[in-house]
Amino acid sequence: MSAVGSSTPRVDGDAKVRGAAQYTADIELAGMLHAKALRSPHPHAKLVGIDVSKAAALPGVIAIVTRDDLEGLNPYYGAVVEDQPVLAMDRVRCVGDIVVAVAAEEREIAEEAVELIEVEYEPLPAVFDVVESARAGAPIIHEERFETQAAIFREQLNLNAGGNVCSVFRAGDGDVDAGFAEADEIFENTYRMPPVQHGHIEPHVATAVWESPGRLLVHTPCQNAVGLQEQLARIFNIPESGVRVVVPHVGGGYGGKTHARLEPVTALLARKAGRPVQWVLTREEVFLTGRRYGAFVRMKTGFKRDGRLVAREVDVFYDLGAYALSGPANAKTGSYVASGPYRVPNRRLTTYAVYTNLPPAGPYRGVGVPHVAWAYESEMDRIARHLGMDPVELRLKNLLQEGDVFVTGESLVSVGISDCLRQVASGIGWRGREEQSNGAREGSLRRGKGLAVIMKSTTTPTASAASVRLNGDGSVMLLTSSTEMGQGVRTCLAQIVADRLGMPVERVTVSAPDTDVTPYDKSTSSSRTTFHMGNAALRAAEEVREQLLEAGAQGLEVDKADLELGADGVRVKGVPDRGLTVPQLLRVKYGDSVGSIFGSSNFQVKGGLDPKTGKGKAAAFWFFSACGAEVEVDVETGKVRVLNVATSVDVGKAINPLQCWLQNEGSMLEALGAAFFEEMVFEQGQPVNGTLLEYMLPSMQDHPERFQSLLVETPHPEGPFGAKGVGEAVIPAVVPAIGNAVANALGGLNVTELPLRPERIVAALAEREASTR
Amino acid sequence: MRHLINANVNGRERELSVKSNQTLLEVLRDDLRLKGTREGCSVGVCGSCTVLVDGKPVSSCLMLASNAEGKEVLTIEGLGQAGNLDPVQQAFLDHQAFQCGFCTPGMIMAVKGLLNENAKPDEAEVRDYLSGNICRCGTYVEVMAAIEDLTAKP
Repeated sequence: MSAVGSSTPRVDGDAKVRGAAQYTADIELAGMLHAKALRSPHPHAKLVGIDVSKAAALPGVIAIVTRDDLEGLNPYYGAVVEDQPVLAMDRVRCVGDIVVAVAAEEREIAEEAVELIEVEYEPLPAVFDVVESARAGAPIIHEERFETQAAIFREQLNLNAGGNVCSVFRAGDGDVDAGFAEADEIFENTYRMPPVQHGHIEPHVATAVWESPGRLLVHTPCQNAVGLQEQLARIFNIPESGVRVVVPHVGGGYGGKTHARLEPVTALLARKAGRPVQWVLTREEVFLTGRRYGAFVRMKTGFKRDGRLVAREVDVFYDLGAYALSGPANAKTGSYVASGPYRVPNRRLTTYAVYTNLPPAGPYRGVGVPHVAWAYESEMDRIARHLGMDPVELRLKNLLQEGDVFVTGESLVSVGISDCLRQVASGIGWRGREEQSNGAREGSLRRGKGLAVIMKSTTTPTASAASVRLNGDGSVMLLTSSTEMGQGVRTCLAQIVADRLGMPVERVTVSAPDTDVTPYDKSTSSSRTTFHMGNAALRAAEEVREQLLEAGAQGLEVDKADLELGADGVRVKGVPDRGLTVPQLLRVKYGDSVGSIFGSSNFQVKGGLDPKTGKGKAAAFWFFSACGAEVEVDVETGKVRVLNVATSVDVGKAINPLQCWLQNEGSMLEALGAAFFEEMVFEQGQPVNGTLLEYMLPSMQDHPERFQSLLVETPHPEGPFGAKGVGEAVIPAVVPAIGNAVANALGGLNVTELPLRPERIVAALAEREASTR
Repeated sequence: MRHLINANVNGRERELSVKSNQTLLEVLRDDLRLKGTREGCSVGVCGSCTVLVDGKPVSSCLMLASNAEGKEVLTIEGLGQAGNLDPVQQAFLDHQAFQCGFCTPGMIMAVKGLLNENAKPDEAEVRDYLSGNICRCGTYVEVMAAIEDLTAKP
């Protein structure tokens, strides 16, 4: 029996279909208060004065916190740059910045109290456009820079760019000028990708209580329990062991819950109130709390008439909003892949992470890659059209191969990208060159197919630790700080442990993150968990396995090599009735059949890039994926119907093929939203569509008529069972595949701004018609 | 201002003291501690707070609790329990029609409402009916498969 590789049902399924799974907002602690915040109505302003006296007088108000309550604490925090105050200090930097927070006996009282607070602001000049903000002379958003505590970021990022540019990262090789001189043709275009919402249906929420002055307990749906623990400890000047972060079930994350968002304020309120405080954000507040970076991309490509790419120069400006979070690291993730998964001998790739006076962004599935992929895959189709080449052939001609040396100087392994491309081409019935010109048409309807390929790194260097405990009754506990947020991590890790211990998956329980108990994990992000935590769990299980075999060898007086693990314990190979059960093995090991057997592992991947040269090891492993799509565009209305989408990911090894399918289906659907209608709109820094009434998320009506999730399995030599990761692997490929399908339906009309709203398509058609008249 | 209302919640007749501006969702979660019904958007568009009122799906974040007077309210907790799941819950399990699970109770109640109204919906009817229940994890193919399975049974 092999647990790995089978579509084992989710271990949390029963609780979820019964509504019994507990999420953070379901937790009620005795004496718990409810929080509400007063947020800045200005995009940029000096904070002159705060008067909370009327609010404080309201019966039922227990605690009010302002900047004055941060005295003696470390008021600024952040994953890479400590630039975000727990509460506004001298100024506010975006609409929605938290200025005051109130804890009251009831939610309504807290809401009423917030209305009674008076704040005096002195508006400052603000900047909203990412390119403008990067220019000299733009209003400065952070007067001081706060150095990060994390050595890894100090050493591996360029954080001293000046002005509103928080960081710059450069990668490159060859001689770019010579490359362009050698090119037969040069294309240069710009692309824009707007900010979008993560759209997790569970809002941000936290519950905090101080059990004693040095002991804080926080419940939160955080993707990064240990990182949050570190940040809270630093803010409140207490040891990390004084902070206990517990992560209940999580109602979707997609990157939006990777960093501290409302936990510091909730903890501050609980400290002042001396009682537990729960804060559940309203959906309007979620819109002001996190989003995907918007970006502007400038891309110049030199190529030969036979289709070979010879030079590429790319500049990308990522809009961080008011605070950096992991923006500089995410912008770096966009830099070295900005020329795509292609062999390009000469390139200069630069990404800028830039502050603006918009609400803060943060990592979202795909981090910095969707922005560059939208540009380079649109360009590939334009080049193919210009050369009269089949876009598949053009890509295959340039795609990276196993063992190639990448722009970072590292050799690539597990590079199944050509197979991914062939799979999706076949999945949408791609016929070759004619797909760029001969789409089916009927009345005002035009059909088109499009493709895209991408590559992405996983955050490196990082570490994950896990412990496996085998109980006396043969049941197993895996202790891990990996967050289950729907992606199936508990099921996947249970499969890995069960497989190594030769027992049924049902016998393995996977813990929720609880920093009192579960060991270190970098974070549940970057689709790194199957690889990193999977390796840690596998090695911890191996330690248990070794101890069982040793006890078996001792008890049965046979050689260890003659033993195997069965569902109930250890047995002699080929002699099924000669064995020892777990209680018997414990008796051999400890002299009594009680106790437990414990294994643990700290799995670490070293690496990272030198920020001066852009060289080193960017990724523990690389994602390669492809997407193909067929659409039908109505040229009168601009409305697009999605007929067929096929995605393919090189996952290394599918630990659970069904969960891989579900992750790809989710990526595909989030990307369809971003392709066609999702866009956060701001006017002078004010949100225009900041509720789910105005900002639509894809519904069942938007699901393509046909969807296929295809997999390539090129085993990774260091992955558990050869596995890499899957969660965000395909999302960057979907939007350009859709864009190329629309362009092909319209005879080569590339719309370079997203989303592809009907009016934008109609306008582009009208513009083309006017220009050809 | 508070009112006393009588409503049947999950098969049990209850007398409830509710505030005039209190939503059914608030009464279910805060007063009756039925936490399986969840708030996602508070404006009636995400569907995660869906419950059945007299057999029909309702966004409980939009319905005033006082309007539940004399009505039958069914939440996920009243639908089926461990070892005795409703066929819809079982079909969701069989098809793994969920990921994070946050929207799942609302989605299941909406499917229950759909099948109460239409025992054999076709795919277009399913997509239309459930378009008010958002699953951001994107598990729609599996929900459709679960419904197909439920309606294929004689």
